[in-house]
Amino acid sequence: MIPLDRYPKQVTLRDGARLTFRPMVREDADRLWEFFRSIPPEDKMYLREDVDRKEVVERWAESLDYETVLPILAFDGDRIVGDTTLHRDRTGWKQRIGTVRVQIATDFRHRGLGTAMLREMRHLGEKSALRHIVAEVIEEQQAAIRAFEKLGFERAVVFRNFVNDQKGRLHSLVVLVYSMSHSEEELKF
Amino acid sequence: MNCAACGAELTYDSRMVSRHVGGLVACPYEGLAYAELRSGHDRIYFGRWRKIDATSIDIRRAYHQLGRHLSAIAQALGEKDLPAARRDLEKASEALETEEPGDDSPELLRLMDHALSYAHRTIDDLLHEMGLPPHSPMDFAEWYNVVEVPFRDAW
Repeated sequence: MIPLDRYPKQVTLRDGARLTFRPMVREDADRLWEFFRSIPPEDKMYLREDVDRKEVVERWAESLDYETVLPILAFDGDRIVGDTTLHRDRTGWKQRIGTVRVQIATDFRHRGLGTAMLREMRHLGEKSALRHIVAEVIEEQQAAIRAFEKLGFERAVVFRNFVNDQKGRLHSLVVLVYSMSHSEEELKF
Repeated sequence: MNCAACGAELTYDSRMVSRHVGGLVACPYEGLAYAELRSGHDRIYFGRWRKIDATSIDIRRAYHQLGRHLSAIAQALGEKDLPAARRDLEKASEALETEEPGDDSPELLRLMDHALSYAHRTIDDLLHEMGLPPHSPMDFAEWYNVVEVPFRDAW
């Protein structure tokens, strides 16, 4: 169990904006859908599910299970302005690997919110006994890549012309990894 | 000598503490959370050791400053439940301890730079835990002898 007693957490951005971070609850479905509706179409091209369909977001809200997907939302008042998720497998060979995803409202980009949310994910990853956190970013998203790297994520691999957007154009995929294992022995087989 | 306001040592590469306001030393860090750590970081960050004409004495002094800075961070971290910060501090110490100042330590500057980056990240973790934005050295650049403005980015 990841301890969540640190929430709600107040976070101040560099420009003085005061936000609240907390895990998503079922009642957030409408607000989260509104948030995704405000995301530019070009960014939605990189999402795994069609978040324009309200039933997709409602399904997330109905099936919340923090042990497999932990969504932390950033609120400006009642409005959601950031969404980050930590995905984990309960069992199997990837149970010590988490995957992090982040989405920020357009008017909150380049204000340090993405970095603050990543910092939160890094903390939660450490507290959930993960060994690695993985992030996948399209190569064009340079600001995001820099933010990950600034927090200790390293480029593990770049897959050239690997994924396609909804218009069929190919993009290179950068896989970044943050390793939490202390012992070299742990990594040996 | 230590700054009366933020507590940072002011023995070498000090910021412009000669600016006096009403007889008191003006300290841009006064009142900020972790003022000593911020000030300690910036004093190294903007230090002479990173300049092209740095002498071996500059580098040696900065090396020892960095060691004391990491100790100050460790003290601030204490028993706080911040594993990511603790890990970064360990990496900083590892980087710093890999080489010692000397004529035959070509990697030293790079390792010191890494140590300082890890130290910065630890300070930012401490600030984040208080709900505060990260420390931005460039906000204090005017207090130091800075000619270049490094790239700044915020996601």
